[in-house]
Amino acid sequence: MALIHIENVSVAYGSPSRPVLSNIDLRIEEGEFVCLLGQTGCGKSTLLRLILGSEQPTAGRVLIDGVERRQPDRTCGFVPQKYSLFPDKTVLGNITFGPEVNEFNLLTRVTPRYFRRRRQFRQEAMHYIGRLGLHDADANKYPDQLSGGMQQRVAIAQALINKPRILLLDEAFSALDPGTRKDMQRLIRQLWRDTGITVLFVTHNTQEALYLSSRVIVLAKEAPDQGSSIALELPVPELCPEVQIPTLAMRLDYASGCTREPEDASFATA
Amino acid sequence: MGHKLQLVHAKPSRTWAVVLSWSLFALGIGLYIQTAHRRHQDNTDDRIVPTIRQMARSTYDAAFKPAEDEEQAIAENASLPQRFFSSMLWKDTKATSRRFFYSLLLLIPAVIVGLHMGLFPYVGVFFSRFVLFFDKIVALSLLPILFIAFGIDELSKIMLIVIGVTPTIILDTCNLARSVPREQIVKAFTLGAGDFDVAYRVVLRQIAPRVLNSIRLNLKAVMLFLFAGEMIASTDGLAYRIALLRRHMGMDVIIPYVLWVALLLFLVDLAMRIVNRKLHPWFHEA
Repeated sequence: MALIHIENVSVAYGSPSRPVLSNIDLRIEEGEFVCLLGQTGCGKSTLLRLILGSEQPTAGRVLIDGVERRQPDRTCGFVPQKYSLFPDKTVLGNITFGPEVNEFNLLTRVTPRYFRRRRQFRQEAMHYIGRLGLHDADANKYPDQLSGGMQQRVAIAQALINKPRILLLDEAFSALDPGTRKDMQRLIRQLWRDTGITVLFVTHNTQEALYLSSRVIVLAKEAPDQGSSIALELPVPELCPEVQIPTLAMRLDYASGCTREPEDASFATA
Repeated sequence: MGHKLQLVHAKPSRTWAVVLSWSLFALGIGLYIQTAHRRHQDNTDDRIVPTIRQMARSTYDAAFKPAEDEEQAIAENASLPQRFFSSMLWKDTKATSRRFFYSLLLLIPAVIVGLHMGLFPYVGVFFSRFVLFFDKIVALSLLPILFIAFGIDELSKIMLIVIGVTPTIILDTCNLARSVPREQIVKAFTLGAGDFDVAYRVVLRQIAPRVLNSIRLNLKAVMLFLFAGEMIASTDGLAYRIALLRRHMGMDVIIPYVLWVALLLFLVDLAMRIVNRKLHPWFHEA
């Protein structure tokens, strides 16, 4: 049985209703690294939010392990593009937030046991800080004292310390400069190999999708007034020969751009 | 042609900034002294515009002479602080401050209600219409009703402040809670947080500095309602004294009292600003 099963899902917003996704049928197996690729406004983030559970489909079902998604919970770790860290907590506070709220509620947070456990949480957090290429000195900084790339590293650590089965990243590296972006891509790929976690990565960057994933799914609209559907599913071989990449990229670009609007229009909806 | 000077980009030097920023004060004080001098030449018993010397004497009396109804007389050789703590000024300040801080305490439930309204749709639906309605009521128009319902003692004055200021604070907190990015709340849930972890550890923590700023902005309203209550029905307090002395045309005490109130409010505001910065080092005012 597939870990994530999206069953004939359609989503429409507003009234009169504007279709965003129509008849998406998708299975994602445990341990896959799936990239959702598509142009701005094609509903790829909506699909991610359905799996996250923060949004409900208009029709169809989203199942994780055969259980329908109702609301966000610990099954999925989440790294958004913006607002990924709690601004009022230090790096350490951000990373230990998950373990803390899992074991203690607001009332038990004053017991001595909490303070003992917190020391262990902090040690564990320091381990993750090292593993994600952050410096120990960053532990007591606040998010706005960190660069964008560092912030996303912390956000990934924050999600991973909870050991979720699925990691959802929504354009997580899109705001980073190219060099940092490359580092982050290498990092997330390494983490995926090491932990065997299932990753769903939303991006509009074809090269990124090809570099990262084991499977690329392209969402595109067939006509402007229709919801997006799956335009192409492309398994990416583990050791993809360099020469194939341009061809694959072209296929992906073609699939996502079959109703390509003028460049500036797609930017305006960003 | 030379460049035309853009006033928008003309920045005053430090000296000029100091001179300019104090000039209106200097002008005001100068005009006052001049007026007082002229009026005292016409009539040595003028009470409308007391001279600086008169005001200083009255201020000294108010601050360092025992209040009229003080039980035990203070020894002649008592130290200045001792004399200050048995003076009329201190007594009035104490009475007003007590009411003021009780009112501030009553704003805490307002913040809690606003937080829950902003975060939990059911609570929001339950309260919002009623609070919006209450927000439109002119609090001072309720004053007679409050005096009838709660009597003319402390409770009615504190209720006036609560009714006047809490709707603003509730609605403000509610809006702040709603403006927390959705990603933050979703993220907290994916990390295993419960509803109340999200409310108190994510949302409240994030909006706390802005809520404090909102309370700071409303300090003036708190004082306004407090003074209205004290002037109409009270037996002590700073506003009571000002209202009482109006009957005796005691401008030599009223003016120092007004300045004293302004100073106190400034100090409370400053203290809250410092506390805010110390408590929330991560917060940068936009």
